[in-house]
Formats: sequence, structure tokens, C-alpha cells
Amino acid sequence: MQTVIAPRDERTQPARIVPGYPQTPWRNPAQPLVRRPPTLSELTGPLEVARRVQLLGGDIAGHGEKQALGQLMHLRVRVLDEDGAPVGGAVVEIWQCNAAGRYIHPNDDEHAPVDRNFYGAARLVTDDAGSFTLRTVKPGAYPVPTRDGWWRPPHIHFSLFGKVWLSRLVTQMYFPGEPLNGQDRILNAVPDAAARESLVARLVPPTGDPFDALVYEHCIVLRGRKATPAQP
Amino acid sequence: MIPTGEATLGPFFPPRYVDAGANDLTQCAGRKAQGEAIGIAGCVRQEDGAALENLVVEIWQADAQGIYRHPADARHREADADFLGWGRAATDKAGTYSFRTVRPGAPAGRARHVNFMVMFSGLMRILKTTMYFPGEAANEIDPVLAAVPAARRALLVARQEAPGQYRFDIKLRGQDETPFFDD
Repeated sequence: MQTVIAPRDERTQPARIVPGYPQTPWRNPAQPLVRRPPTLSELTGPLEVARRVQLLGGDIAGHGEKQALGQLMHLRVRVLDEDGAPVGGAVVEIWQCNAAGRYIHPNDDEHAPVDRNFYGAARLVTDDAGSFTLRTVKPGAYPVPTRDGWWRPPHIHFSLFGKVWLSRLVTQMYFPGEPLNGQDRILNAVPDAAARESLVARLVPPTGDPFDALVYEHCIVLRGRKATPAQP
Repeated sequence: MIPTGEATLGPFFPPRYVDAGANDLTQCAGRKAQGEAIGIAGCVRQEDGAALENLVVEIWQADAQGIYRHPADARHREADADFLGWGRAATDKAGTYSFRTVRPGAPAGRARHVNFMVMFSGLMRILKTTMYFPGEAANEIDPVLAAVPAARRALLVARQEAPGQYRFDIKLRGQDETPFFDD
């Protein structure tokens, strides 16, 4: 079983140096990246990450008196490979800030309150259809403390393991209709408009099931011409 | 208020992102992997030489026999059941990561090597590189190392600091910039 991996389309991937993102000019390589012949080493990859890390599940909103503050939502995600086939058994790691825009992280400042009922990290495995559901609260926007006033729009971070080392992906997901999407430097570091749009989830028109949560759908393509753009 | 350094922007990997013990590939669920245990450690720096704390490093490698635990490897049924081939570490205040693993065997047509991946605040895309072992004749015929411009190849060869202990520093940008691959 030898996987053939199509290259990513460069226009769908973010610029490496982003004006106003002060770390980017120090950390992204100046030399051209080296194109390598794919060998077994890149066309294999860890399939048993779940034996090495603790799974945290996909329900991070809490229940009853311990429910997190904010807009309850379900996010239904499908993970696909470069041929559009579902990627089952993939470890997915998710992290996000709380409804007020605050991360549980020592480096996050104190611009917004911590919610003691919200840790903001999930880790789960996709089912045979490449799907999973995250039950969470919608993350808030937060200010990036640059002098010209840039705010990150609401977003959720994803780290995914596909079937091979070449399909390791770290990206973000955004919400439809957010006015801040248009000025976000990280989302807009992706040159191609359709690729940017592929980072935005779809709101499913409410049906009453579930009655207490908004439902969003999203699709993540790990590799190939239609690959979901990387995000930091 | 203008916060400095890492306070300015994420991504804020949750503290639980790097599990305790995820950097030790020599055992799994209490069972010991086959082969010679080795250590790999190094410092990760940015262009101005500053060491980077809380950077996430992952590795992927073949087992001691040079077999990948993956169905694409024709020999995968012979792979060591107690060696997963994958690990994750975070850098400390000195910018240092460390792994315990086994010396990988040389897969067919390759020199023995360890694949690396780095993710961090300010990296718009994850970066991938590959570490080689010093003094290996097969380094001369490895097709991935051969793809790297000759003048930069030495940057991918680790230094042996003690028997079974290797140092592989990573420079993200600037002088002695580590070669990264367009994956």
C-alpha cells in the first residue's frame, strides 16, 4: 500500500511572515525549503498516538452547575484525505479560549476573566466516517496587543494526525459572518479567497435538535490540492 | 498596556498538550522497546539566537530493525509491538528538548534517521526536518540528505556527546539555519 501524495497548492497556504505578527520574522526560515523525494519515512506515520497521549474526549462545555459560560455549540467535523476519503482513527487535538477570549495558559495576560468551568482543550479520535463532534462554547474574540489594534476573531485550533507523516496538519477554524474575520492577519495571510473560505465553518439552520446548542459543520482536508490551509 | 514577548499572540498550546512521558519512546505501557536506548537533545533558537521556551517538538522514526509500524511498510508485521515510533517534547526555559528513544535501524535505501517536526507561536506552518547520525557511511547515499544543498548537509547530522547521547540543535532562521523540508 503506497500512498501517493499530491503537493499542496502554495496559494492556499499562509505567508510565513505576517506584518503585525511580531514573532514571524524571527522564526520562519529564510532559506528556501528543500523539496525531498517521498520515501517510506514520510509515507508512513504514527497510527497509535492515542497509546502515548491521554484522550480528553470532545465534550468540553461542562454540564449542570459546571457548564461553562457562553453560547453552547456543537461542532460537527469531517476529516478527509487528499482523495476526499474519510480519515478514521485519526487523533485530533483541539484548543480554544473561553467565551470572554481568555486562554488557560501562563502566557495569556489578564485582559479577560478565566471561567473555572472551562479548560478549553479536547483530544479525541475520529470515527470510521472520519467524523467527530465537539461540544463546547463559542470562543470569544481577543485583542492582539499591537499598537494598531488588531483583534483575533473567534477561532478554534486543531492539530491532526493523518495516516502518514506528510499529512500532519495544524490549523484553525473560524465562524461565519464574523466582522473581525476580514481584518484578521492570520486568516488573511492565506492568499486564495476560496482557501480562506474553507477555514470558515457553516452554521446549520436550527432544527430544535439539539434544542440548547447552535450547530456548526466543518470539513478539514489533510493533504493535496484541496488541503485545508495551515494556520499557526 | 503593551505586553511583551509571548504574551502578544498565541497559539497558546494548552499545558496538557505535552503529556508527561511522551518524550520517552523506549517503553510503551511498561513494556520495553527492542534495541539500544539512546538520548537525543538539543536547543531551539530563533534568528537573534534567543532560545525558545514551550516550543513543541515531535519525532517519528523506524524501530531498531528499520521497520515502520505502519501498513505502508512491507515488513510492518515484524515491527516491534512495543515501539510506537512517535514522541513529543516541549522545550524548557533554556530552549532545550530531550527524547529517550532507540537507535533506529536503517530503512531500505536510507541512512538511519529521525524525522522532526516543530510547532510554535509565530510559525505559520509547522516545520519538518530530519536528523542523521554522525559517522554513518550510508549518509553518503541517503536520497533525502542528498536533496539538501551540500553546504548545509552537516547541519542535519547530530553530534555525539557521549556514548548513546546525541545533540541536535535547531535554528529556525538565520546563521546556521536548519534545513527544513517542503512537505
